Amino acid sequence: MSPAAPRTPADVLPLRPTDFLVLIMLGRGERHGYGIMQDVLAHTEGRTELEAGSLYRTIRRLADEGLLEETARRPAVDLDDERRRYYRLTPFGRRVVAAEAARLRALVRLAEQARLLSPQPASQS
Amino acid sequence: MTEYRRAKPRTVAERVYRALLRAYPRDFRDEFGDAMLEFHRDRLADARRAGSWPAVARIWARVIADLATNALPARVDALVRRARKRSDERDALRHTPSLTPNHREDYMLSSIVQDIRYALRGMRRSPGFTFTVLATLALGIGASVATFSAVHGVLLKPLPFRDPATLVRVDHVAPYQTVSEPEFADYRRDARSLTRLAAFSFAPAMLAADGAGGEPERLRTVLVSDGFFQTLGAPMLLGRTFTAEEERRGVPLVVVISHGLWMRRFGGDSSVVGRQIVLNDYTRTVVGVLAPGAEFPSSEFAAWRPLRLNYDSLWTRNNHYLTVIGRLADGATVEQATTEVRALALRMTRDFPETYMAGEPLIAHVAPLASVTVAEVRPYLVTLFAAVLFVLLIACVNVANLLLARGEARRKELAIRSAMGASAYRVARQAFTESLLFAVVGGAAGVMLAAAGVRTLRAFVPANVPRGGEIVIDPSVLFFALVITLATGLLFGMMPAMRSTRHDSADTLKEGGKTSHSGARGLGRLRRALVVSEVALSVVTLAGAGLMLRSLWNLRDIDLGFRPENVLAISVNPPVSYTQPQSLALYRRLVAEARALPGVIGAAAVEELPIADGLSGWSILIDGAPMTTVANSPAAAPQKVTAGYFEVMRIPLVRGRVFEESDNESAPPVAVVNETMAKQMWPNRDAVGGTVKMLNETAPWATVVGVVRDVRARGFLDPVEPMMYFPQAQAGRSAYYTPSRMWLVVRTAGDPASLAPRLRGIVRAAEPLAAIARLETMDQVVSASVAARRFATALIAGFAGVALVLAGIGIFGVISYSVSQRHFEIGLRLALGATPGAVVRQVLGEGMRTAALGAVVGLAAALGTTRLLSAMFVGVTATDPATLAIVTALLVLVALAASWLPARRASAVDPLGAIRDA
Repeated sequence: MSPAAPRTPADVLPLRPTDFLVLIMLGRGERHGYGIMQDVLAHTEGRTELEAGSLYRTIRRLADEGLLEETARRPAVDLDDERRRYYRLTPFGRRVVAAEAARLRALVRLAEQARLLSPQPASQS
Repeated sequence: MTEYRRAKPRTVAERVYRALLRAYPRDFRDEFGDAMLEFHRDRLADARRAGSWPAVARIWARVIADLATNALPARVDALVRRARKRSDERDALRHTPSLTPNHREDYMLSSIVQDIRYALRGMRRSPGFTFTVLATLALGIGASVATFSAVHGVLLKPLPFRDPATLVRVDHVAPYQTVSEPEFADYRRDARSLTRLAAFSFAPAMLAADGAGGEPERLRTVLVSDGFFQTLGAPMLLGRTFTAEEERRGVPLVVVISHGLWMRRFGGDSSVVGRQIVLNDYTRTVVGVLAPGAEFPSSEFAAWRPLRLNYDSLWTRNNHYLTVIGRLADGATVEQATTEVRALALRMTRDFPETYMAGEPLIAHVAPLASVTVAEVRPYLVTLFAAVLFVLLIACVNVANLLLARGEARRKELAIRSAMGASAYRVARQAFTESLLFAVVGGAAGVMLAAAGVRTLRAFVPANVPRGGEIVIDPSVLFFALVITLATGLLFGMMPAMRSTRHDSADTLKEGGKTSHSGARGLGRLRRALVVSEVALSVVTLAGAGLMLRSLWNLRDIDLGFRPENVLAISVNPPVSYTQPQSLALYRRLVAEARALPGVIGAAAVEELPIADGLSGWSILIDGAPMTTVANSPAAAPQKVTAGYFEVMRIPLVRGRVFEESDNESAPPVAVVNETMAKQMWPNRDAVGGTVKMLNETAPWATVVGVVRDVRARGFLDPVEPMMYFPQAQAGRSAYYTPSRMWLVVRTAGDPASLAPRLRGIVRAAEPLAAIARLETMDQVVSASVAARRFATALIAGFAGVALVLAGIGIFGVISYSVSQRHFEIGLRLALGATPGAVVRQVLGEGMRTAALGAVVGLAAALGTTRLLSAMFVGVTATDPATLAIVTALLVLVALAASWLPARRASAVDPLGAIRDA
């Protein structure tokens, strides 16, 4: 299936929170479904636990939009089960995640200026 | 895909998971099934490593939730993907319904969408056919749903009380019927299978005029024993029920009012609790308002007040006037409770021989409250429901027939599709989809019809049908509509679907789409069988309706004992403080003034109106017999009237004389008795000259001066009881009390209703404080007593009419089809010299044979089913030959009419043309 790739990231913004999370996790490298789920779980202090059905529907949708793709590359055979599918960000997907993050950063700045949030280095936690 | 197949699940858990995955669309499964299984496997492994069963259980719960929220959207996603993918091909596909396997995968959902689209196109293409089918279905389903809403509202819906299944009523078998105070106390003390018992009785009450413009009003009120509302568990809209304190004597008077009275009298003001109303001259404080629909025993009651039984000094044991309700104890059944109260009643019979008549032991039984409340209307409703289901069945048969006929016309189309590789399953499914679509659209139209029907029903449903207000279209009724819609779709869709798979496509194509002879014969037989069953069903419905109509007719012939036409009755309710002289003066004045009105032939007053009010029997002594016990004395119902009553009601005098004005308070006491009483109490003797008195030391003996014809006191079908009449002026002495609440009855020369305003004026002028509860012609009173029956009969007759029409349409369809198929044969016969008359006879004969066969089957079935209804028949048996003959004749007429048109067409066949075309 060849999706009609949107021309600019702005066409797909804003992202749904789950989409954004999934894409961010893939930004750290290739992942299979369960790996994505574990990463999301770990980075949200256990608050967001993706289930297989919703995860793979998300993956399918993001793939259709051209944000991620399945990789042909697999880790070493002895580490892997052949039935796992690995996903990575497409270059377009990478631009979209960055655009979304920038959009959110702008919003955070607004909140800080409105003194709704005290400015804090993000790397603290 | 191959990858997916190869991966064999290893454990039960994986097998289950894989089965669950089937909820997702095929392409989704193919792509992600294995990955999802792997995901799940990893997850379970982690959970087991980390811990325990709860963790695993939690995973499964999440999997199910995940499935529930994602499977259907995934299917929609799949459809959208496919639609996008094939957007270029769409033009090409538009004219080729995709019944051919031109795709590798068979996307279940999307192909169903196609089936629906295709069916819709078919429906648009032949609007006449579509309309006929939909109208038939809408009628059948609409009538069924409307009837079900009545059955559901009145019979099935639980009573609006707490835990309604354990609510019961305790009754006595005739002649005792109701329960006396000591009996109630005994049951309450000794019955172990009933946890709570409460008693109630009825009394009319006068609601006084209030300052805010409320007129004096006569209310039906309920007198309730202590614990009545606790036993019932009735929901309150406002305020509370009675406290234990208020149920005892000598504390401020209180009352609970109905939602209706609250709206009417207080305009729905929520500050009503604590306000005061004057009921029967006593001021009572309103403590609560019942929730609408919670009026018990029926919505006719407007107020509930404490009965305040004095357990230290109960009324006598023979004074049966209470109705007893109770709650089954935990685990107790109605049967156990009946056994127990029956034993208690027999013990009472033994312990109090002076109360219970010899040979008439006290027999008690317990019945669920829900069923006794509606016992009278249940048979009517059940019959109606059965009749309407028959109509629905007939509608189904008719639609199946129509679809079969059309399926035949589309043989070529189907054959082409089969030839192009569509599976038999796929073709059958298409036929089925079409049927279901018809059912769903017809059902939706039916529900709309039913909504209108229910509105009409509620407007016409007789007021004395219990729970009539509960007849609404609610979710349960809609669910029923859905079920019968799908059921009808399956029912009438089955045959065309099965038949659609049976075509031999090659043969059909060779024949150029014309029906082969063997196929036509098979189809003809099938359709004829359908019509026979349809005729049979309508015979059963017609027979039931006929017998109900005969019963209603026979009721009219029952002698009421008086002439109701041209009589106006007005109920006069002066304040309860009225003294004897006031009562006598009031009715003397009213009767005199009514008589003076132009067009009035006669006027009189009576305490209990025949038909409308029941009278209960009182113990009496005959012909100077010494004082004795209740058990050893006969009983008769006392009726109090003024002079002229028998003339006004045209109750024929059999012997002696009727009352005269001179039978007043100072004259020697006299009585008039009915024929039943004369025969029972003075067998082989003349009742006139005999004496009668109440079973009471101080009551005087009254001399019987006349015997009059029996009058039906309660209704058409109730047996006539012994009855004695006393002049109102003497009733204070001879019948315990002088009635002040009476009916003024007036016989007129012309239309009695036109006199109503002037009569009302007379009453208002004579006693402004008197409430006029009812003002009706006797014809109205009589007809109200059979309203439920007449209503049910009218509906059943209507259903039978629909059944007859549908059967006629069925016969017409089959005969027309048969004629069109035999075009050639008929042409040949005409060419060989047959007269048009002979052809007409042949076709008519064919129609008649179908009808006759159906009638025979139907009559046999009718003999079996109408027997179930025989309890409702009056003066006619379930096998009444005259009714069955009329029903059959009616059917023959319809069959003749339905075959006539095709027969005419057959005789007009052009022989040359027919043979040439063949």
